[in-house]
Amino acid sequence: MILLYRLTRFISVIFGVLLLTFLLIHLVPGDPIEVMLGESASTVDRAELRRDLGLDKPLIYQFGHYLNQLAHGDLGRSIHTKESITSLIAARYPATVKLAFVSLLIALIVGVPLGVYAALRANRWQDFIVTIISVRFAAMPVFWLGPVLMLFFAVWLGWLPVSGMDNHGAIVLPAITLGLGLSAILTRMTRTSLLEVLNDDYIRTARAKGLSARTVVLRHALRAAILPIITIVGLQMGSLLAGTVITETIFSWDGIGRLLVESIEKRDYPVTQACVLVVALSYVIVNLATDILYQLADPRMRSY
Amino acid sequence: MKNFSYAILGVWLIAVLAGHVMHLDPNAIDLNVVLHGPSALHWLGADDLGRDLLARILSGVQVSFMVAMVVTAVTMVVGVFVGLLAGFYGGRVDQILMQITDIFLAFPGILLAIAFAAVLGPGLDNLIFALCLTGWVSYARLTRGQTMSLRNRQHVLAAQSLGATVPRLLLLHILPLIASLLVVEATYSLASVMIAEASLSFLGLGIQAPHASWGAMLRDAVRYMLVAPHYVLIVGACMMSLILAINLCGDYLRDSLDVRTEKQI
Repeated sequence: MILLYRLTRFISVIFGVLLLTFLLIHLVPGDPIEVMLGESASTVDRAELRRDLGLDKPLIYQFGHYLNQLAHGDLGRSIHTKESITSLIAARYPATVKLAFVSLLIALIVGVPLGVYAALRANRWQDFIVTIISVRFAAMPVFWLGPVLMLFFAVWLGWLPVSGMDNHGAIVLPAITLGLGLSAILTRMTRTSLLEVLNDDYIRTARAKGLSARTVVLRHALRAAILPIITIVGLQMGSLLAGTVITETIFSWDGIGRLLVESIEKRDYPVTQACVLVVALSYVIVNLATDILYQLADPRMRSY
Repeated sequence: MKNFSYAILGVWLIAVLAGHVMHLDPNAIDLNVVLHGPSALHWLGADDLGRDLLARILSGVQVSFMVAMVVTAVTMVVGVFVGLLAGFYGGRVDQILMQITDIFLAFPGILLAIAFAAVLGPGLDNLIFALCLTGWVSYARLTRGQTMSLRNRQHVLAAQSLGATVPRLLLLHILPLIASLLVVEATYSLASVMIAEASLSFLGLGIQAPHASWGAMLRDAVRYMLVAPHYVLIVGACMMSLILAINLCGDYLRDSLDVRTEKQI
């Protein structure tokens, strides 16, 4: 039942996202054609682009056309290179997914154990230090963390490449830049949620049975505490995806975020529109997947 | 921690005031000190055009703070209005309004603000507009949830049966009870709007040259990182300190006002 409800909501949200991204191009002040091509463009070029984008038709027709094109996997053409946007995005998207995935992995590897550690040492100095550090990292915007990491590890120490994506080490710095913020959030979340569980009766029972502290924490407590963490990961995938825009720009990582920034600089609005759409859709789908995962992880949720 | 955050905010306030008193000019160019590090004349060094970094940072923080204030105020008013209506009336109104917020929430982070700012064109007005357009949603969600739970409280029903009008009910009987929650939310949002503004300026979508803005300064700083590492470190450290201080203030307010909301993450 819940799944069905989620699914209908999912579809209505997708529709809204499509509508909003479609309307984006109509928000351009004045004549979008003139903004995109510049004042010196010839009348023929203008008329051609206007026809190409369908801007000479009524709005409702345009939206229908837009949906129809999307259904056929056609995102239009870049104004500048005339390339198909679908293939532009197909070329760049895997790099972003890779970056987001590695960042998530780093966040989980760093965040969850630190959170467990802080919870087990709650209100002692170790906990205090972990909390301070995680508050600091949560407050650190990627456009500062990125350059600083680059400065230390690539420029001064020379351990890792400064930017680009030619060798395997290249993903390390951008992924850490993106992942650290999330890991800070995960640390705090793991700590809180584990602390709540640790006071439960069944944990006392497990201890009383004589199970080792390790088994109690990892097998009994963490399994229950992991649920809020799944939700957080799903929700935070959004800032991760948005963060790729700036991180990719800093590290010259050829993903969809950089494509978005390039298109903005060139005023290539159809590309901008398509990038925004693809990132938003990814996020919505990740969230739906999180919901489903949540149901799988928590047997109590299945009975509804 | 509380005193620490107050101290940072105090230092910033004094620095800004001192900057005004001393008539620091953020746009004065001195080509002899291009990208020089800190010195007696330029305490924090100079940027790529030989402009005093201290002066630019102080001028940047004012713009940034102004943007944060305006955006927070506007988004709060709009969001609270929408949230009150949705929470109070429920049913169809609620459904439609929440459907709209759902759509806005489907865009991750500042992506929508980037998109709006991109099509509207760069500039301070458009930046504020873009951030307002996307920022009201969290207030709407928060207010709606609270209003729904307060709507059937005894004192609200009593006032209603005494003939209180809807605006009166909302403003005098419901809003005061969620005000502390909103204040806390607003404090956090000041910090996040400052980050968003800097992000947009970093991408070249915000405040335009020659006006100073932290985001744009960071972008230049990254460009000259190899020759002038002090530039990126100083601007970043300033930004971090301010955002951290505001967030800590938020934590303190939350604890002292005893606001029980869903866990702040």
